[in-house]
Amino acid sequence: MEVKGTKFLNDGTGVIVIGITGREASQVVIESEKLFPGIVKCGVTPGKGGTVLKDDCPVPVFDTVKDALKVKELKQSVNTGLIYVPPTSVLDAVYELIDNGIKLMYIITEHVPIRDSIIIYELAREKGVTIIGGTSLGCFVPSVGRIGAIGGKDPSIAFRDGSIVVLSKSGGLTVTTSEMFKRRGFGIYMALAVGGDVIACTTFADVLPELEKDKNVQACVIMGEPGGTYEEQVAELVAKGGYTKPLAVFVAGVFQEMMPEGVSFGHAGAIVERGMGKATDKIKMLEEVGKKTGTIKVAKFYHELVNALISLGVKRDFEDSSGGDVKPLYSTLK
Amino acid sequence: MKLYEYETYDTIFKKYGVPTPKYLVVQHPGQNVSDFVEQYGDVVIKSQVLVGKRGKAGAVKFAKTGEEANEHVSALMQTEVYGEKPVSVIIQEKASIIKELYVSFTYSSKPRRPVFVVSLQGGMDIEEQDPSTIFTFEINPLEGLFPYKVREYLIEIGFDDKAVLRQLSEVIANMYKGFWSSESRLLEVNPLIIAGDKANPEKQKILAIDAVTMIDDDARIAPSKIYTARGAMGRPLTEREAAAHLIDRDDHRGKAGSYVELDGDIGMMTFGGGGSTITAETVFALGMKPANLTDIGGNPPAEKMNKISKIILSKPGLKAILVCGGTASNTRIDVTLGEGLVSAIEEMKRDGTFPEGLVWVVRRSGPEYQKGLKMLSECFVKNNIEGVIYDSELPLTEAPQKLYEILKSKNLI
Repeated sequence: MEVKGTKFLNDGTGVIVIGITGREASQVVIESEKLFPGIVKCGVTPGKGGTVLKDDCPVPVFDTVKDALKVKELKQSVNTGLIYVPPTSVLDAVYELIDNGIKLMYIITEHVPIRDSIIIYELAREKGVTIIGGTSLGCFVPSVGRIGAIGGKDPSIAFRDGSIVVLSKSGGLTVTTSEMFKRRGFGIYMALAVGGDVIACTTFADVLPELEKDKNVQACVIMGEPGGTYEEQVAELVAKGGYTKPLAVFVAGVFQEMMPEGVSFGHAGAIVERGMGKATDKIKMLEEVGKKTGTIKVAKFYHELVNALISLGVKRDFEDSSGGDVKPLYSTLK
Repeated sequence: MKLYEYETYDTIFKKYGVPTPKYLVVQHPGQNVSDFVEQYGDVVIKSQVLVGKRGKAGAVKFAKTGEEANEHVSALMQTEVYGEKPVSVIIQEKASIIKELYVSFTYSSKPRRPVFVVSLQGGMDIEEQDPSTIFTFEINPLEGLFPYKVREYLIEIGFDDKAVLRQLSEVIANMYKGFWSSESRLLEVNPLIIAGDKANPEKQKILAIDAVTMIDDDARIAPSKIYTARGAMGRPLTEREAAAHLIDRDDHRGKAGSYVELDGDIGMMTFGGGGSTITAETVFALGMKPANLTDIGGNPPAEKMNKISKIILSKPGLKAILVCGGTASNTRIDVTLGEGLVSAIEEMKRDGTFPEGLVWVVRRSGPEYQKGLKMLSECFVKNNIEGVIYDSELPLTEAPQKLYEILKSKNLI
């Protein structure tokens, strides 16, 4: 039988949540299990094994990953980790999951120390593990469900099944962008928040080859930001034919270059990533490749992203429901 | 967090074995300065500021006598460097330079590994130098950097001074240890010099005569717990920025305390890292000027929203307020806007500190947004505040456009 969904989230995904009893994690798990029951299989919080989550949420809690996977059904169904622990505990959680044989994991935690991220990525590469994040908000595949908090309590505001993939460094903009496309008639096949950390364990260019071979994907939208060279790597990938489908891009942060000096990164940043890393550099490189291939369009303003995608010949999944000039909900203007 | 030169010397180089010339850090002229010059002879005197290119700004001086040195100390302490006031002055034994190298460690997002960056032609203007003279080597973070590896690299790039090869490789490996252990994002020495040894003329020694360090703000031990607070913009924090810093300090629920002041007149109450960035840049692109930047998120409680709202609204000279965020997944709109912002408005009204006559544009969606936006609109009506409120039917970055149109129609821009 064909798998429904992507490598990152599909109908065979079974999630173990690390730090499940935390404020945010427990709320997300309870909400997600109401919306898409059965994706989260169990969770771990040291010292809280055996406790029950609120709202009669049936997801069991264990003290360790090892304990959880002693349960036969969990051993068979759990294949994805979802990490919600404090920043300095993330490295520990990654090791725990890897040592227990988990090959795919999301790090939702923000502010993971960069040095830890470097170690985590090196481990992932050595052990053949896919890690998304840190600072990922998770993944949403409307035909399957979600991992993490994307879309909150009512994801139907922003998501309808379709053929577009949204990849974003910013978690919040993953949803906001999906909603903007939905209102204009484009549905989402997958929205993935890769996270905006300087060291991202999964980058845009890591994901695009997956989309290239997936026939359900018509086009991709990328929300980039300054820092790192992950947008430049997209341009390089497209230039060498690694991704040939339409690609609409918006890169935030051009204005930061107009800010007074002082937050500057010394010489090394400029030397190591010579001519790369700044929003304008990213835009320039993507536009140059786009000119040659005709498959990349960079939007100048964020809200022009939809038109950028349309200009690449991408077809709507359903009707445009936006109605011209938007009137305010409330106005006290004189 | 960027460190002052003397902080790198004191807290990293001393600990991990990166030699520097003898130095003294002072804020005033004095007998200790004279004594230092007496003991070590020719000295270099450098302002302690966070901006770069001090030499070109005239913030590096030389002296031969205690009197001369003290004059420079007084003068430099009173001279701003690119608008930044020095926190102190460093007096350093002048080294006899035989060769200048550039050495730095940072993380590269391509291999996603630490990198060792080296040039045999260090000194000023390294950025403008021919890229073929600057070499970058990846480091396996699980293994670290051994001196033998450094020696291999140095020989590979044509370093041929065998007398100092071992010593140099050990200093560089120690520098990496310092970079790694202090959780820096960048540790740069330009120049790292091969110097003559006054006491031992046939010998040479390796010295770091400058240092730029950026510590990861997310380090396991936050740099703010080790070093004194400093502004990110190369200036001290303003009163409101300092107050904003305190909002998140003892309360980890959500984030409301990031607040940077600019010299514009549009008060920005923006949400989410990405959303805040693109909202601010649309404001700039339309020719309007933000009075501040914020980045509120992670479902902060009403008290935090109350505090940051008051800080944003208390900046003098505002023309308009832009409350703008995407479709939140987690942040409650009734709590943040309906309770936090509304209570701040009510309290400022009561205290007579509310900025009257501003134009407000609000665009927000997320959990309980209908309730939250309604609460805010009722507050607008009750308090005679002029504004418009949108939900996510309006594309995010069209909110600054709406503000622009309103201000234009009122001849306010």
